[in-house]
Amino acid sequence: MLKIKEVHAGYGRLKILRGINLNVSQGTIVALLGGNGTGKSTLLKTISGLLPVMEGSIEFDKKVITDSKPHHIVRSGLVQVTQSKEAYPAMTVEENLMLGAFTRSDKAEIKYDLEGIYSFFPALKDRRNMLSGTLSGGEVQMLVTGRGLMAKPKMLMLDEPSAALAPKVVLEIFANIYKISQTGVTILVVEQNVRMALLLSQYAYIIRDGRIMIEGKSEELINDPAIKEFFLGGTVTDTSKELNA
Amino acid sequence: MTMDFDFNSLLAFIIFGITIGVVYGIVALGISLIYSGLDIVHFAHGEIYMFGAFIGLFLSQELGVPYPFAIIGAMIFAALLGMGIERVFYRRLTQAGGGYTVAGMGMIICGFGMSVALMNVAFLIWGAGAEPFPVNLGMPLQLGDISIPQSYVLTAVVSMLLMVVLNYFIRRTKLGLAVRAVAHNKDIAYLMGINVPLVISLIFGLGCALAAAAGVLIGPMQSVQVEMGYLMLMKAFAAAVVGGFGSLPGALIGGILVGIFENLGAAYISPSHKDIYAFLLLILVLIFRPSGLFGVIAKVKA
Repeated sequence: MLKIKEVHAGYGRLKILRGINLNVSQGTIVALLGGNGTGKSTLLKTISGLLPVMEGSIEFDKKVITDSKPHHIVRSGLVQVTQSKEAYPAMTVEENLMLGAFTRSDKAEIKYDLEGIYSFFPALKDRRNMLSGTLSGGEVQMLVTGRGLMAKPKMLMLDEPSAALAPKVVLEIFANIYKISQTGVTILVVEQNVRMALLLSQYAYIIRDGRIMIEGKSEELINDPAIKEFFLGGTVTDTSKELNA
Repeated sequence: MTMDFDFNSLLAFIIFGITIGVVYGIVALGISLIYSGLDIVHFAHGEIYMFGAFIGLFLSQELGVPYPFAIIGAMIFAALLGMGIERVFYRRLTQAGGGYTVAGMGMIICGFGMSVALMNVAFLIWGAGAEPFPVNLGMPLQLGDISIPQSYVLTAVVSMLLMVVLNYFIRRTKLGLAVRAVAHNKDIAYLMGINVPLVISLIFGLGCALAAAAGVLIGPMQSVQVEMGYLMLMKAFAAAVVGGFGSLPGALIGGILVGIFENLGAAYISPSHKDIYAFLLLILVLIFRPSGLFGVIAKVKA
């Protein structure tokens, strides 16, 4: 569904990505793993069109989107949920969600989907008229995810959904991502929480210094000693038992 | 203007202050709106206001368009002019990175340049003299012992109407939601599928239309001349800062405060220094409440 070929990109003259190759097939969950400053967020911004592609090509849903404008990419069904947990704090929860549906004009269906989001994240329903600046970290993550879903995406890209959240909340967030993928939405999830992301995904890429270092099936990578070494002293947390529970 | 205290004349000064103040308010509103959308202070805004006044004068005196429609016509013209300026000049600079960067400095200089250019164009078209803007609106309105000219009443009504419509647009419509989204964070607005450059253009046009409305409203009270924009920019700027930069209700309240302060100063201290009082208020607010009366926390704009 998403095909990235030899992509180089960065900020101004500063090149961060040096030839990224990555594929996401339809209906799967793919994880992109790596530490801070390895180029994960840069790659997402490049795919979304916020940063220009210097070299290489990006293809989504059989169309080339290498030079497309960000708002056109959203309209084609590829939606990014940002990392910084940026909801619009001065807007209410409902306004944020409606903003997610900005590209749509089917009013009745938007309303139906809004109720769908509320039943999926009941916490948001109770707070629908509150300013999103007053929400907790976990609730904001639900909000930005829900906002992404309001665009009716074919594919969702999540940028570190577990960052700065309590382990129990992280578990809930990952369970939600799994449920979303069950509804047929293709998912690319960027994470630092390696073990959780590997348990969730079917295929994974590990990025370092703007290059893909390792890639493979998640179930194989999870027991790979090279991975453990790669992230030694990093952010590996053993939450496998909790997830099975 | 007697110096012995007279409650009726005090009331009259306050009413006139409020009327002129709401006009400062709508110009300040435009400046605030553009500031929240583009992260720049638009220094050519006074000239847009002046252009609006001249277009309104032209429409109503030369073409015989009824006054209310002259306001609408001037607003449409100014919106198109503003969007044209944004498209041709400012967009190149916003794309190089807006507000606080070096390009932001470029935008300020570009604004000043635009101000000089527009003033000279106006000079070539209309000359340097002050043009009267006679509008016959009928007998002054009697409010007890105070008589208020109809132009003041109309100004207050139209300004309030503009505020209400703008507020409805920003708070209740889908496009208004997009305007707020762009004002707060452009990258996320893009990720919502919003055509950000188009919305910025719209914000710019809207701000300019408000300035033009102010110009046509002020016309009958004073007169229309090429240099009228400069002082209005300064006062509207003072109003925006007094109210809290980037806050839309703040811009209106700031404008009214500046208007009242100015009128009372002129009445009770010295009329020849009328234009100082706005800045006196500005200085006082900056000393005691630097973020303005409705100062919003940075990042929570519009």
